[in-house]
Amino acid sequence: MRRAADATLVLVLLLASAAALLAGGPAATPAEALAALAGGGSPEAHAVVVGLRLPRLLLGIGVGAALALAGAALQSLLGNPLGDPFLLGISGGGAAAATAAFVLLPAAALGLVPAAAMAGAAGATALVWWMARGPLGPSSTRMILAGVAVNAAASAAILTILSIAPSPRLPGALAVTMGSLASASGAAVAWLAPYLVVPAFVLLLHGRDLGLLATGEESAAALGVEVGTVRRRVFLAAAALSGGAVAFAGVIGFVGLVTPHLCRLVWGQSTRRLLPRAAVAGAALMVLGDLVAHRALAPAELPVGVVTALLGVPFFVVLLRRTS
Amino acid sequence: MAAPTAADFPSEVERLPRFAPSDLEAIVALRPDLVLATTAGSDPRAIARLRELGIRVFTVDVTSFDRLAAACREVGRILGRSAQGERLAAGVEACCARAGAAAAPLPRRGALYVVWWEPLIVAGPGTFHDDLLHRAALANLAPPGAGRYPRVDPELLLDPRLQVIVAADEPDLRSGFARTETAPAGARIAGGDVRVIWLPADPASRPGPRLPAALEALVAARERMERQGTGHGAQGGEGAQ
Repeated sequence: MRRAADATLVLVLLLASAAALLAGGPAATPAEALAALAGGGSPEAHAVVVGLRLPRLLLGIGVGAALALAGAALQSLLGNPLGDPFLLGISGGGAAAATAAFVLLPAAALGLVPAAAMAGAAGATALVWWMARGPLGPSSTRMILAGVAVNAAASAAILTILSIAPSPRLPGALAVTMGSLASASGAAVAWLAPYLVVPAFVLLLHGRDLGLLATGEESAAALGVEVGTVRRRVFLAAAALSGGAVAFAGVIGFVGLVTPHLCRLVWGQSTRRLLPRAAVAGAALMVLGDLVAHRALAPAELPVGVVTALLGVPFFVVLLRRTS
Repeated sequence: MAAPTAADFPSEVERLPRFAPSDLEAIVALRPDLVLATTAGSDPRAIARLRELGIRVFTVDVTSFDRLAAACREVGRILGRSAQGERLAAGVEACCARAGAAAAPLPRRGALYVVWWEPLIVAGPGTFHDDLLHRAALANLAPPGAGRYPRVDPELLLDPRLQVIVAADEPDLRSGFARTETAPAGARIAGGDVRVIWLPADPASRPGPRLPAALEALVAARERMERQGTGHGAQGGEGAQ
């Protein structure tokens, strides 16, 4: 049963990826796209498929996997089903910094917006960690409360920036907050991929510890888990994944929150088993969501975060009702 | 009389009291007999609130050159200066007629009016930029039904139908263009299959009676482009200042 589910998940990702590369657009028909993938076709079709669609697909896979992996880890770490990068203010901090950079930086320096987003996510992470620290170290409840506060501050900062943004910059600044994979480039993928590997590896390495932590800190400690160390590493790794995702794709909600729950409904509660599957499912959901965002009203684009929510919520409700 | 903070034409506005359009208190404090607003950039809630407060507000629709001429006449009538309004409207219409005559022999080419490069945001149907393209014998390739200024797929820049891009000459847009031109989406621009016409940002980005100057500049740039061999295979952008 689980093997069949694993195979289905990989098949969905592969089919969605093929559709993302081959679906007809204004500049390349499916046949032209296929020829370009095979190394032939016109220069225009090659530019569309290899220069635009392939980086977009790879970015979607990376961002979706990062968000879902971070969400799954944070839910286990905090023992809270609402745990995700947004709840902890990490994505909000990155988005606020990106929006500020987009509005304030001179035109020639707008390429630094992703770096600003990562710095904002790191700053929000440090702030949440600092606020959550008590006499016995940071507790899950304090981390969630601190995250809610940081998130509220980030939202207020974004709205303030947007309200005073000069009108020529406003459309682009709004786009930063809405989330999109349309700006994907080979350089972005080449930069992001190695950056995501280390924190993803850290989370996968701590799968067993996270599973024990989800049952309670005292019992986990009794079974040999170094609670403080694991909590710090997992939190930082999840924050790094979220920061990378926000930096190159903007704010994309829902994937980090619901994908782990979808996977639990299919593969059970084992965190060690859950983490890699959540990563693949997050990638598949993101690719599917972007396919719809990209093609539903083509050549106009929809915000991909809206589409991932529209795709995932009904599926989630059906699974939840069946299992309950 | 008072002018919004962004107004910079004619130079006499520098001597007028200023107000931020979003600051209703400042507008009310000026005790205006009449407030002029545009459908393009005014917050309809603010307009409704001013009307609730008993202030007379006239909203000018400048989503096309025809409507612009009609608005000139209407504003002249409201201000008791019908003759001046008529002269202004006649000037708009004469300018459009001249531009139309000059554009008539030009081949109709697929075009986009780019508002922002990254992400790609273009002027859609129903905007004065759309009318600007249409009157310069350019067919707007922006998708209908996706809003006035939709965000579109960068692949649209590689659409073989696209031959001309029009944009306002602003530093932000020049900078975004420089990055786009060297990215895969800019392959047809870099290869000279798509020519870029840079219009002076003022008046191209300001819906008002000076907008016909942008139309004349666009048509003149198109005429130069066609004389140079339609732009296909040629390098670089076309200035229209």
